[in-house]
Amino acid sequence: MSSQWLLIIMLAAVTYFSRILGITVMAGRKLHPVIRLYFNYVPTAIIVALIIKQIFVPSNGHLVLSLPVLAACLAGGLSILLVKKFLPSVVIGVVIGILVRYLL
Amino acid sequence: MHFAKKATLKVASVEALPLAIAIAAYGVSYGVLATQVDFNVLTAGLMSVLVFSGSAQLVAVGMLAGGAGIASVILTVVLLNLRNLLYGAALAEGLAPAGKWISLLAFGISDEPFVLASSRFKKVGPDPFYFAVVAGIFYIAWIFASLTGAMIGGELDPQKFGLDLAFPVTFAALLVPGLKGKPIIGTALAAVVITLLLEWIRPGNELTIILTGLLAPLVGLYLNRRMGHE
Repeated sequence: MSSQWLLIIMLAAVTYFSRILGITVMAGRKLHPVIRLYFNYVPTAIIVALIIKQIFVPSNGHLVLSLPVLAACLAGGLSILLVKKFLPSVVIGVVIGILVRYLL
Repeated sequence: MHFAKKATLKVASVEALPLAIAIAAYGVSYGVLATQVDFNVLTAGLMSVLVFSGSAQLVAVGMLAGGAGIASVILTVVLLNLRNLLYGAALAEGLAPAGKWISLLAFGISDEPFVLASSRFKKVGPDPFYFAVVAGIFYIAWIFASLTGAMIGGELDPQKFGLDLAFPVTFAALLVPGLKGKPIIGTALAAVVITLLLEWIRPGNELTIILTGLLAPLVGLYLNRRMGHE
């Protein structure tokens, strides 16, 4: 319980710090275009890492492919391209994942 | 209320509403996922009240679900938050008339308010009030949606409803619409390779996400540079 509170407070602190730092210290400065691009690419890399870590699960020191998770992600990703709505796409992905889990 | 302020309030509300609905959708997902890593309605809601960042909160609960410790969660969120520096720097001039209130307005800086406010400042010049209204609407939407999600998530049997699957699917749905242009797609593919490599070397290791976040964008930069020279 207490570690959750610690996490919340630290997340709040580092997030607010990045915001206030940007608006005060960085104000009026032109960041190098390469740095701007780098900062913009970081979230994509982190999100991909999170997804891949859940598709390939460690088991006894080896990586094991989780087919239900893979199917769910592909279905969710395709759905958002087609349906363009966030929550329905998540639901479609989860349903496909459950189906694969029970059929295999 | 001053007439000009009333007009701004109206414009800001109309422009914020469609995005507020999208933010609420993320908020519900966050709330459901937070309950899967043992947050309750109070703590899940409190995180939204104090942090107010969809990406930071979703990544944090996603990492906790994968068994990450607090230190690596915080490091990853610091990396993720780097773009707030860009947003703050770009918005500073438009928010400057707010004076001492600027440290309060800073709390509202994130992806969506940045998009709306920067286009507003381009049109009419500095307008902190517009930013305050937009960020306020998003804040309320985010908190209520998180609480709703946490209440729903607390009632569901995770295995039966596939809530464990909701983590990767939520991230996939966040990722896919943004995959446009060679550099971003290259970053994503590089992230796949780097993550697999790091996990292959040491399965389940804590550094995978942060190292991938640091390294994969370099491939994006490389591709961007090559495109510039073509």
